[in-house]
Amino acid sequence: MFKKVLIANRGEIAIRVIRTLRELGAKSVAVYSQADHSSLHVRLADEAVCIGPAMARESYLSIPAIISAAKITGADAIHPGYGFLSENADFSAACRDNGITFIGPSPKSIQQLGHKAEARKMAVKAGVPVTPGTKDCVGKKEAAAQAAKIGFPIMIKAAAGGGGKGIRIVREASQLANEMNMASSEAQAAFGNGEVYFEKYIELPRHIEVQFARDMHGNVIAFPERDCSIQRRHQKLVEETPSPAVDKKLRTKLEKAAVDLAEAANYVGVGTVEFLLTQDGEFYFMEVNTRLQVEHPVTECVTGFDLVREQLLAASGEKLTYTGGHTVPLLGHSIEHRINAEDFSRNFQPSVGRVEEWILPGGPGIRIDTHVYAGYNLPVYYDSMLAKLIVWAPTREMAVERSRRALAEFKVKGVHTTINAHQLIVESADFKAGKTDTGFMERLLAPAEPVKAA
Amino acid sequence: MDVKTLTKLTKWMESTDLEEITWKNGEDKISLKFNNNPVHNSVLSSAMEPVLAPSIGIFRFARPGKTNHLKEGASVKKGQELGIVEVGKDFKSVTAPANGLLKIISIEDGKPVEYGQPMFFVEPK
Repeated sequence: MFKKVLIANRGEIAIRVIRTLRELGAKSVAVYSQADHSSLHVRLADEAVCIGPAMARESYLSIPAIISAAKITGADAIHPGYGFLSENADFSAACRDNGITFIGPSPKSIQQLGHKAEARKMAVKAGVPVTPGTKDCVGKKEAAAQAAKIGFPIMIKAAAGGGGKGIRIVREASQLANEMNMASSEAQAAFGNGEVYFEKYIELPRHIEVQFARDMHGNVIAFPERDCSIQRRHQKLVEETPSPAVDKKLRTKLEKAAVDLAEAANYVGVGTVEFLLTQDGEFYFMEVNTRLQVEHPVTECVTGFDLVREQLLAASGEKLTYTGGHTVPLLGHSIEHRINAEDFSRNFQPSVGRVEEWILPGGPGIRIDTHVYAGYNLPVYYDSMLAKLIVWAPTREMAVERSRRALAEFKVKGVHTTINAHQLIVESADFKAGKTDTGFMERLLAPAEPVKAA
Repeated sequence: MDVKTLTKLTKWMESTDLEEITWKNGEDKISLKFNNNPVHNSVLSSAMEPVLAPSIGIFRFARPGKTNHLKEGASVKKGQELGIVEVGKDFKSVTAPANGLLKIISIEDGKPVEYGQPMFFVEPK
């Protein structure tokens, strides 16, 4: 195991990693930007170094600054968290070249699975079902023919994309050229790579994903699926496990697909395969996330695993904690609510300021992952997530009740939060019945928020 | 109120020791408050200007193969290179902020520095 690990991230995920490191007896190093000097991860880590100004480009995204921080502090490994440099092959390579272990997959795996078109090829090779679409990036000349072959509606996606950026839906051939230009320039601006590919657009699917972990010795575990269908503009709001739409038979198929893909890619570390599940129960491979995900705690709640620990074990060349098979037992139901500093009444506009009051829910089955405390000044430079409220209960019905109870206990003053949006979700009849798909939020907010055509 | 007037007002406020003003005109109302939170505004009550590390890295008084004999009390010119911070294969120049005297050297050659760490103090002339 590592002696000292630098966490190249901020916020709740930096704290999440520090916690496991402490349990393992490893030292932690926090890095921070000038805007984050009073952030909680800085106070909780064993050591902390300032790596740059507020702008992420010059701090949390600066490879030389982070490598330099690791060398100065004598860290033997770097945990990238999620976002920032977590799926950056150059960063993984820079760590390796400097004799530091990157806690995540190899640069090769990141390239193979992080690049969507490459990942699709890998899925086909592993025998995992993929949505009808182009295998490679599409050029302007072949666009019309390729789109016609798949059949409208289609989706244009950025090859280097993620987080819902650079995705456009095209319903008719006449819009294709224009939408393709926009998608390409958006992708160029967001990821520095304008390549796009096409996929069949599936109406109102569920977003289902399978977490897996694999070590250097070939042990693989696929965890029970997570349902992340509740999204707004491709950003997840609520995640739960197991999915109300997945039965034992389907779960077995989904888990097998994840195991096959991890084996085919010779993947080492934790990762997540995302699938679209149609209303008819067919599933299609969407993409692989080669990092720890925001919603990993729901999996931890129903399986008892510490996924950060599995990640550290895999990266240090040790065996996973469980090597007795590809699947693990599932106990109860877990739901995660992402609480953001956004004004729900004003179209989820980001809210900044000082957190004046911060009263957290507690009691049975409640877990909160957060970096916020009363008196904390929210920096304007980073994402708006304040906390993850994770509930666990023996059944889904009880978990929904527990969410409702916990959301009512959660009190925040000073900044606007999405707590009331989550209350609206848990009170909705469709959510209670488990009838969710990626169009859920749009329908829920329809009276309050005029929905623009996609 | 337009941005131009607002800028003027803010500039003027800076020249006074006012901390907060409120301006009202019929329905329009604007309040300005300076953030004098001591945590964020650590103004040194000194005539000396700190020279801060431009990057995290290793500090060196001179680039490889060069020498630099800086001594406390020496006079420095604005823009004069006082040293460099080595970050990876890159060298970030550390320069004097003003003409003046180099009063304090608070860094040693080869030592790690954080971003924004004070390394020198210069008394401007």
